[in-house]
Amino acid sequence: MIDPDYLGLIVGSLVSIAAYTTLIGDNPISKATENLYLGILAGYLFATNWDYIYRNAVTKVQGGEALYIIPLILSLMLLSRLKSGWMWLSRYPIVLSIGVGMGLAMRTTVMADFVQQIQATLLRWNSLENIVMILGTATSAAYFLFTTRPTGPYRYVNRVGRVFLLIAFGVTYGQTVSFRFELVIGRLVDMLRPDVIWYTAGFLIIITLILAIGYKTKRIEWYSAK
Amino acid sequence: MSRLKKLLALDQRIIFLLLFISLAYPILNPIILPMAVQDYSRMAFEFAESIPPGSVVLFEGGNTAATYPQTGPGMVAQIYHMFTKGVKIVFFSIGAEQQIWTQKAIDEAISKLPPGVQARNGIEWVNLGYIPGGEAGVGALANNIRSVVKKDYFGTPIDEIPLMKNINDARAFSAVLWWGGSEGSIPYGIRQIAVPFGIPMSGSCTTNEVPNYSPYISAGQLKGLFGGVRGSAEYEYLLRLPGPALGQAMATNLGGLLWLILVVLGNVFYLILRMRGEK
Repeated sequence: MIDPDYLGLIVGSLVSIAAYTTLIGDNPISKATENLYLGILAGYLFATNWDYIYRNAVTKVQGGEALYIIPLILSLMLLSRLKSGWMWLSRYPIVLSIGVGMGLAMRTTVMADFVQQIQATLLRWNSLENIVMILGTATSAAYFLFTTRPTGPYRYVNRVGRVFLLIAFGVTYGQTVSFRFELVIGRLVDMLRPDVIWYTAGFLIIITLILAIGYKTKRIEWYSAK
Repeated sequence: MSRLKKLLALDQRIIFLLLFISLAYPILNPIILPMAVQDYSRMAFEFAESIPPGSVVLFEGGNTAATYPQTGPGMVAQIYHMFTKGVKIVFFSIGAEQQIWTQKAIDEAISKLPPGVQARNGIEWVNLGYIPGGEAGVGALANNIRSVVKKDYFGTPIDEIPLMKNINDARAFSAVLWWGGSEGSIPYGIRQIAVPFGIPMSGSCTTNEVPNYSPYISAGQLKGLFGGVRGSAEYEYLLRLPGPALGQAMATNLGGLLWLILVVLGNVFYLILRMRGEK
């Protein structure tokens, strides 16, 4: 019997190649993979969440803790979105969950995201790093003063703020590119393992042939980048 | 059309192919380039070192299938680090998929432990599994664990787990280790546990999220951060625990180098065209 982990690697290799064919252009293979992924994920999430609700609410109601009927009713009300005439019912649990989330977050946001962040900017002007931090924070914040036209000395503050923001966006862009590479590398590491690489090569050849035939016979439309 | 214009209009599929080759080559033929440990990783490692043996830490495992290859090796290294220090761990995840990967990381770390180091389920560690509700769930967990979870990942009632005997809120933990993957959930831990309970916290996230959390490090709310595969590689390096992240970090370097060359060439070609008056 084949090891389930090993089988997962082989299936993962096939599905990854199929998904990456979207880089050539939309095609039935990449679409089928997307649908497969969404279907499996939706099924898994449904099962896991149902299990949680069952263990933490249904069993309690069965055990006589009647208050837990409220979250169960609210959960069912969420499903009313499926019928347009009843959709208004789903707004109540959504409002409740947003309200609870906002309330909980706001409770400590003032301290965590405002006070302590401002305190962290109150630094001594005794090192280049501190000076850059103070200037960068002040000028970047000043850039968002939209009620004042950037004229006079403020024009220079505005420009310096913009430069800091552009540098920050550049860093974020670079990190995002790196993250995307890491996503690909994560898949390649499994696909190019010595015990999987021949399956990967085989799948690559089969999918290439299917696509080549599809494009040649015009059953699949060739995507032109121009 | 001039040659430069043709180059600027290069089909994106050729770029994808070049990138594929540059990322796959170092995996097939590992190359080790010199690597300096970043400040954030060193801070996070030193913070982990400072956690006293015998204490209990709260550990959020937020990796998914997509992010596990990047931050998973670092997560395994941190679990290994804690167990070898004699630190006990209470794991949880705020995503349904994440709980599986958290357990995988625990199993991997345990399989690497040297003889004599104990990591018994229920005594040295417990995995509480999936806690739904996002930030609200984290807040509820921090204030009353038993109000959100009755059984652990394996279905064992919490009250029957020796490690959980005297633990019911965040005050029982000496540190929070937040391996958020790409969840964007590190602020949940800061807002719901680190700030209100005054518990020190370090984190890990994917590379793209590092700039978002830098202000938290500057403010001292995060004691350090392992970013992406490089952060994982640095943890493996600092812990002297060879793992898969180092090779992956090298592949990222080569891909990044190619990307940099393409960006610079694209800009140079564009400037030349502008100087020539071509559009």
